[in-house]
Amino acid sequence: MKITVDRDACIGAGQCALVAGAVFDQDDEGLVVLLNVSPGEDMHAFVHKAAKLCPASAIAVED
Amino acid sequence: MEQTSAAQCPMHEVRRIPNDGTPLCPSPTFAIWREEGAATPLEYSDGHQGLIINRYELAKMILEDKRFSQTPARMPAHHGEELTAQYGLSSGSDLDLGNVLGLDGEQHARIRRTILNRYSVRSARGYEADMKAIVAQQLKHLLAQPTPVDLTKHYAQPISAAGHVRVLGIPEQFRQEYSQLFVGESTTDEKVEFIRRVIAVKKDCLAEDVLSDLLRSDLLVPEIEGLSLSLFVSGRDSVAYMIATCMTALLNNPDQLKALRDDPTLIMGGMEEFMRVGAMFLTLFPRTATEDLELGGVRISAGQSVSVSPVAANHDPAQFPDPDKFDLSRDAFGHVGFGHGIHGCVGQQVARVEIREGVMQLIQGIPTLYLVHAEQNEPGPFAHPVATYEAGEVIVGWN
Ligand code: HEM
Ligand code: SF4
Repeated sequence: MKITVDRDACIGAGQCALVAGAVFDQDDEGLVVLLNVSPGEDMHAFVHKAAKLCPASAIAVED
Repeated sequence: MEQTSAAQCPMHEVRRIPNDGTPLCPSPTFAIWREEGAATPLEYSDGHQGLIINRYELAKMILEDKRFSQTPARMPAHHGEELTAQYGLSSGSDLDLGNVLGLDGEQHARIRRTILNRYSVRSARGYEADMKAIVAQQLKHLLAQPTPVDLTKHYAQPISAAGHVRVLGIPEQFRQEYSQLFVGESTTDEKVEFIRRVIAVKKDCLAEDVLSDLLRSDLLVPEIEGLSLSLFVSGRDSVAYMIATCMTALLNNPDQLKALRDDPTLIMGGMEEFMRVGAMFLTLFPRTATEDLELGGVRISAGQSVSVSPVAANHDPAQFPDPDKFDLSRDAFGHVGFGHGIHGCVGQQVARVEIREGVMQLIQGIPTLYLVHAEQNEPGPFAHPVATYEAGEVIVGWN
């Protein structure tokens, strides 16, 4: 799995950090930061969920 | 795909937001409208017609679509009731420059960016200890009251106000006045005058909070004042409403209450279920289409007003099976109780912490808590400026 985030698109709603806190966090500007570019199997479902919930389509996931 | 699934009412009957529902049991009219079409004509308080969006999928599409504008501000107030300017919205003043919910595009982004940091998931985690202490203190106060007692007044509202004041950084000496002006009734002028006094003091004692961030930022004075007005108003009754409504939901459903007491970890996903079934907003703030467009089979013309209904969308069976069932163990993520898209609630992560603490300390601290009467179990008048449910009295007792 490979994840990319678009910080210009991010609106800081924190949905990603809420559902997959081990992979996404928010920095001092409240914008998304990626903690882990290719997380383990056990996180995949959560990462997909974060990408789906993101209101700004700022998270792209390649399996 | 169906064309124009904005249902046209056969008799040209005037459709207004139905008022026969309660926070936990929405009007059956929403389900009827949702089956008729993704959108339904709605008459606004100023008499013009727009659309109310009842289906989840279309709701999200609209909230993600940049072709809708937050202006002009048009409020679908409940039939027969006067719109008041007390929310400081559409006041036509300089302060509109900072009213996040009334802005589009770059100006919206510029304003919103200044406050994101303090409301992020990370910041919310940082407030946990403070919120725990605020709630614990309020629980002590509640336990000292003779029963039966109103949870909304003696527990939910004070927690909501204290949490809000903490994150915003309103100095100690103004806190009581804040509650008087913003939890009680006051005019926009009084609110703005108060904000100016708070800012004058705050300038000389900057700290780690929202107001300090605003004062350190490059925002113009009217932007700071306008944004402060939006923020001072925003979280003041919604968190209180949610704590009151979560507790009503639990006390109405003893099996769910027991499940949560037995397994407190249920609260993490359960919070989303509370937000789904207890959505406060019957409609969000109306958006106006800036061009003719077609979305999800519905044609919307330039200039038309569109109001997304979180209450309707959160009960769409296409997204949430058996939608009227309150089930803390279901996957309710993706609900639109906090709105969605670029205007999605800024305060939602902090609100989650406050509500979670408020609910968990109460059910764990008072094992014999029971409901005497919740006003919100009966239909009541909506609050304004957009139609929202009110917490109402939640009278409880314990043994
Ligand atoms: C349970 C509590 C809360 C609920 C149910 C709630 C609900 C909402 C909803 C539905 C919206 C979107 C409105 C729309 O799109 O028309 C919104 C926006 C907003 N909320 Fe909340 N809210 C809550 C707590 C808070 C708190 C604690 C704050 C803190 C200041 C806050 C600040 C805001 C702001 C500033 C916006 C406008 C964001 C923008 O336009 O970019 N809210 N809220
Ligand atoms: S969910 Fe999307 S918009 Fe929200 S913080 Fe994460 S990346 Fe940003």
